[in-house]
Amino acid sequence: MKRRKFDVAAVPGNTARAVDDRFQVATPLRRLLNKVFPDHWSFLLGEIALFSFIVLLLTGVFLTFFFEPAMTEVIYNGSYAPLRGTPMSAAYASTLDISFDVRGGLIMRQMHHWAALLFMAAIVVHMLRIFFTGAFRKPRETNWIIGSLLFWVGFLAGFTGYSLPDDGLSGTGLRIASAIMLSIPVIGSWVTAAVFNGEFPGTIIISRFFIAHVLLIPALLVALITVHLGLVFKQKHTQWPGPGRTNGNVVGERMFPRYAIKQGGFFMVVFGVIALMGGLFQINPVWLFGPYEAWVVSAASQPDWYVMFLDGSTRLMPDWEITIPIGEGYVIPPLFWPTVVLPGILVAISLLYPFMEARHLKDYRSHNLLQRPRDVPFRTGLGVMALTFYVILTLSGANDVIADKFHISLNAMTWAGRVGLLLLPPLAYYVTYRICLGLQQHDREVLAHGVETGIIRRLPDGRFVEVHQPLSAGNGHGELDYAGWVVPKKMNRLGALGPAIRGFFYPIERPAEAPVSPGHPPVEPRPEREEITSGETRP
Amino acid sequence: MTSDNDRRRGLLARLRGRPGAPSRGRRRLGAAVRLVAALMLAGGAYTVLAPGAAAQENPPLSTAAADGKALFDVSCVTCHGRNAQGVEGRGPSLIGVGAASVEFQVSTGRMPMARQEAQAARKPEVFTRDEIDQLAAYIQELGGGPVVPAGDNLHADGNVAIGGELYRINCSQCHAFSGGGGALSSGKYAPSLAPATDRQIYAAMLSGPQNMPVFGDNQITPEQKADIIAYIQQTLKDDGDPGGFFNLGRYGPSTEGVAIFLVGIVALVFASLWIAGKS
Amino acid sequence: MSSQTGQRAVPGGEPLDVNDPRLSRFDIVREGARRDDIEIVHYEPQVAPGTKAERRLVRTVAGFFLLTGLAATAFLAIYIWWPWEYEPGRGGDKLYTPLLGVTLGVALLGIGFGVLTWGKKLLPKEVSIQDRHEGAPPAEDQRITGETMAYMADELGVKRRPLLGVSLLAGLLPVGAVAAAPLVGGLISDPHKDDQMMTTGFVPRDGQKIRLVREDGRPIRPADISAGGQITVFPGVEHGVSNRYADSPTLLIHLREGDAEESRRNNEREGHGGYMWGNFAAYSKVCTHAGCPASLYEQQTNRLLCPCHQSQFLITDNAKPIFGPASRRLPQLPIEVDAEGYFVAKSDYTEAVGPDFWERP
Repeated sequence: MKRRKFDVAAVPGNTARAVDDRFQVATPLRRLLNKVFPDHWSFLLGEIALFSFIVLLLTGVFLTFFFEPAMTEVIYNGSYAPLRGTPMSAAYASTLDISFDVRGGLIMRQMHHWAALLFMAAIVVHMLRIFFTGAFRKPRETNWIIGSLLFWVGFLAGFTGYSLPDDGLSGTGLRIASAIMLSIPVIGSWVTAAVFNGEFPGTIIISRFFIAHVLLIPALLVALITVHLGLVFKQKHTQWPGPGRTNGNVVGERMFPRYAIKQGGFFMVVFGVIALMGGLFQINPVWLFGPYEAWVVSAASQPDWYVMFLDGSTRLMPDWEITIPIGEGYVIPPLFWPTVVLPGILVAISLLYPFMEARHLKDYRSHNLLQRPRDVPFRTGLGVMALTFYVILTLSGANDVIADKFHISLNAMTWAGRVGLLLLPPLAYYVTYRICLGLQQHDREVLAHGVETGIIRRLPDGRFVEVHQPLSAGNGHGELDYAGWVVPKKMNRLGALGPAIRGFFYPIERPAEAPVSPGHPPVEPRPEREEITSGETRP
Repeated sequence: MTSDNDRRRGLLARLRGRPGAPSRGRRRLGAAVRLVAALMLAGGAYTVLAPGAAAQENPPLSTAAADGKALFDVSCVTCHGRNAQGVEGRGPSLIGVGAASVEFQVSTGRMPMARQEAQAARKPEVFTRDEIDQLAAYIQELGGGPVVPAGDNLHADGNVAIGGELYRINCSQCHAFSGGGGALSSGKYAPSLAPATDRQIYAAMLSGPQNMPVFGDNQITPEQKADIIAYIQQTLKDDGDPGGFFNLGRYGPSTEGVAIFLVGIVALVFASLWIAGKS
Repeated sequence: MSSQTGQRAVPGGEPLDVNDPRLSRFDIVREGARRDDIEIVHYEPQVAPGTKAERRLVRTVAGFFLLTGLAATAFLAIYIWWPWEYEPGRGGDKLYTPLLGVTLGVALLGIGFGVLTWGKKLLPKEVSIQDRHEGAPPAEDQRITGETMAYMADELGVKRRPLLGVSLLAGLLPVGAVAAAPLVGGLISDPHKDDQMMTTGFVPRDGQKIRLVREDGRPIRPADISAGGQITVFPGVEHGVSNRYADSPTLLIHLREGDAEESRRNNEREGHGGYMWGNFAAYSKVCTHAGCPASLYEQQTNRLLCPCHQSQFLITDNAKPIFGPASRRLPQLPIEVDAEGYFVAKSDYTEAVGPDFWERP
């Protein structure tokens, strides 16, 4: 047999062919490589959450190697002198060991905690973007629901993780959680006894939270995130309206190489920011809190920020207790309303909102173009209203710290929160609504009359007028219809708007057949800037 | 007349807390004190020399206490009344509060009060160490009460581990795990422990200033007090934060929540603006 | 454009023959994109090869990567050699975590910005347009799939043979319950076992009244607490000072004479006459709202504040809630002094301690 020369350069090609012969991946892979993603900064907010979740998994795995999820009592004998000889649970002792006796353990713990806060913060910010731009509309209602669920599952992940160290602060939080379960009518005491295996705190809750925190909840999160991303992929990303962008296409970059490289780079940036925060900002110094003991508490006891709104609602709730005079009498404690009913309502509203809005507007079409918040004043108003509600509750969750540091009476803070919670959201709705209308009005004005140039011209009769640069290219007097696009308001935005597709202000039916070849710039030059020839005066 | 004027001006200067004033004010007050002391001596001499003129109810004051009384009559008498018996609606009686109370209130600048309010706040102190001792001696001799032991370092042989446990049971509910203080009802608050000296902490525990409960020596023994002070001074204050250059005021989750938005989210939003921005 | 479905018009009208040797690699890439209904409408290198700008960008990216290498090496060096074991005070160990964070952060940001600059500045800018191909799928497909499923259901014939359906349901339901039973059953724990929700560690044992003890187990004499003072006390039983008796911590308060007088009067009114001993009153430290230790005692106003939700209780009015979300008084522990001069609980609390619940009598 003739001996063939081994061609190294052909190896990748041959291997690829061999793989494709067996698995037929060439076509799907091409589709994947070619998928087009629109590019906008606000589309990267969800990625922050995704990437911090990956950091959470990485740092979390590290922590499990050293954490001991047990409530058996031990006498601490580690490095941290101020707690030496103190009886505490094994969970707390191992948390101290991670912080002081495991080399590099403290930064891992802190990165894990910061990543958790960032995860929740990014979810909320991402959700606000989705809401205010109408990205939840058909066909993306399912993804909105999954996203809302991700917030609540993340909430559970955060709470269970926060409770694991069994320190003085988190134990207080756990105590409140048990009281919340206890407040549920009829089954409250049974639920609490089931979760804690008897009376609070029992001896098993940390082990149960541990398995929930490291297995059940992350599995649920991974599943939800997978479906979330899968749906984004399948349904293709929404895009802002603009030149050449229609409800039936996606204008952007192909996934490879540039888009993917940007994503990879952004992951590293998110990771880097978490590492910097983990190293520079001390978070949750459990060694100061001591082990959880039922009689120990600290002034300014708060949960992590994403739970704080529930703490706030609890603080603002008046002492309305409902007694039901049957038999020996039954009680619905005031704690029940702000901690069980309120979150229940919030979940229901957020899950149902896309359907309620569609029904209200009788709009059952599919939407792939985003809306600018100003174009839907009622939705933007509702969003700001909800946000105001949430922020007041969150601030009230820290009202004792605010009262103390700004020398305000604590009781006054509570009353301000109560009154503010009722008054400010409707006010926010009204103000937002008016601002939206005003912005719209201004956009239309610019479209009709052009951009202010700052050039003052004196007319023959002595009047002064400002010259406006009309946006329409042709005769200079044509009015443009408002199309939900960004309207340039300054001269230097003209010509710098949108990607380099010809015809900025006219939706083009077909994209121009620009000569495309790598290594050569497109032959067609950019349109010349028009000279300012005429101006419009305001009426 | 002059002495009256001097006295008043000196007092005013003190109350206003003018920064440049102390030396002059103190000099004037010193003069006033000397004068009052002289008057006292004269008065004392008179009482001694004129038998039966005044009933001899109280034992005679020591020199320090007499100096303290002079200071008291200048700075404190308005609110706490003659012989520290208190003035309804202005200031409580100081009979029996002891030197510890004087030491705490005066050395932290809380007394003399600038104005009537929910709670006296810590200010730069008005009196010198010697003057505080004299005032303390006076109040002590008036009605007895708890006394802070001598010395500036009261935690020399304190055990921080025991102190920590006691701190968490007795102190952290108001002063917080980190010693940063916290809010109480209706505008009252537990102050931060950061500026407190050993003697002030000790005095506060003994005397229960304002709304702070009293922790007498029977409840928390002097050794335990030393442990608690050791924990506050060594662990809460001297021990650095191993978790970072910034401890976010050790306010707990509230400032951590602010940080994640102001630092984390803001930084990453800027990053995404740059990434998606047109190059 | 949305009206044009299927094959997109390409210059030449026909799909390109990708085996044509005249085609450049990019032509093939573009053809592939077209087959996925993607039109690359703009593709423009940002920097011309070999220009100054390109060299500058390359240097920048390389600089970022080298920074990463440097920072990562620093991280390793610090990780290995920096003193990291805890020392009291402000020693070098306090810098260990910050230094690790800074070096790791810089290393990661270096890669991040390097890669981003590479992708953002050195790769050609492009604008591609892809058809979504969504909206209602062809009605025909919907019909075929629907009919197929209906056919399958017909074949099973549950409609014709109802017994099958009923029996299957009757069989499956219990199986489903079986799956849930061990979990639910295993978790169930009777909350009223040993009357645990109504009792605390102060229940007299063997006719013996329970002493009030400190955190170190020592019993308490009246002289131990100064007027205007308070102390956290525990049941003097085994493990009384532990989380096993999480509902038992109690605040023993020595009221001033006048306050004590008022307190006694109000206690009488609430049916708690004789619960105090002298000027001493004992109230549960567990807040009736959410169970936090309500223990911020203001000795002049006699208010007790809970730091979790700011409920305020007026001690002199039998711990009545006067502000905040709490709706129920703090339970009072009846106390007296035994023959040896130590505080004991006359009996257990006479009402449930801790947060409210449905069946609290």
